[in-house]
Amino acid sequence: MRAGQIYLIIAIVLFGISFLKDKQRSKEALKATFKIFYVVLPVLIFVFVLMGLIEAYVSRETIVSILGQKSGILGILYAEIVGCIALFMPPAVFPFGGYLLKNGASYGSIAGFVFTAILIGITTLPLEFKLLGKRFTIFRNIFTFLLAFFIALLMEVILR
Amino acid sequence: MKKLLKNDVFQFLSLSVVITLFVYGLNAGKGAIVARTVYNTFIEVLDIVVAVSIFIGLFQVWVKPPTIVKWLGKGSGLKGFILVCTFPILMGGSLFTVFPLLKTLREKGARQGAIASFITAWGGKAPLLPLETKFLGWPFALVRLGFVILFAFVMGLLMDWVGEKAT
Repeated sequence: MRAGQIYLIIAIVLFGISFLKDKQRSKEALKATFKIFYVVLPVLIFVFVLMGLIEAYVSRETIVSILGQKSGILGILYAEIVGCIALFMPPAVFPFGGYLLKNGASYGSIAGFVFTAILIGITTLPLEFKLLGKRFTIFRNIFTFLLAFFIALLMEVILR
Repeated sequence: MKKLLKNDVFQFLSLSVVITLFVYGLNAGKGAIVARTVYNTFIEVLDIVVAVSIFIGLFQVWVKPPTIVKWLGKGSGLKGFILVCTFPILMGGSLFTVFPLLKTLREKGARQGAIASFITAWGGKAPLLPLETKFLGWPFALVRLGFVILFAFVMGLLMDWVGEKAT
């Protein structure tokens, strides 16, 4: 059985339990589920197109030379910068990361990319400024970038 | 029509189609590669994405923002700090949905460090584990999850260390 089918069964069982406990709430959950699916799917498809473009136009050697093990520290930095400017939603981060991994990127680079893609977003900066303040935003983003770098480095050492 | 053009869903889908057709027009072979990649990956993830959407939907209705705010309190004290570095791992959503919640936490008196820890721990993304393990493998996902807690912890210490100035 595919892993996806197992998750699907678990999800349906959980939903069944939720439905037995509280019908009204479960209806809300179903609505939320549809909304998430509706919003996430187009973004995923868009990211798959990007993956297709890389597949069609970028050679494996290019990916290896930029993000591979030999590119070391610089590779992690490049990957982090891509993560910062990529407009990915979190669910799209993993297929894209997996694609790069399969094509020769190092674990460290992927870790750097995943962290910054989720935690730093150029598009969300204005909102963070507005809601949490300028000083907070600046320090948080700088620290996130630096800590992500060190953790990515550690992960490369552990996983390689 | 104007509303449709501004719709994110419509934008992403139409952009995807336009790019694929454009590449196909330039070079049919390359266009086919793009289309095949999209199709294959789509088939691979569809059931996982449905499952993940159900997980997050359930979490959203059973653990509402006011509940989270109540549980986490000010995020002060060791217990609060540990909670703030771990609990958000279970949450879904994007930064757009997390920031407003954090503003509320902040207004309830949570420290700057606790807020930063929260965001970082939220980056753990346990609801997306099915996707992460599928594409990056269990070792990567588990090691990353472990580091996320450390990451959140150090983040909180650093943000408290730089302190808050009148903003």
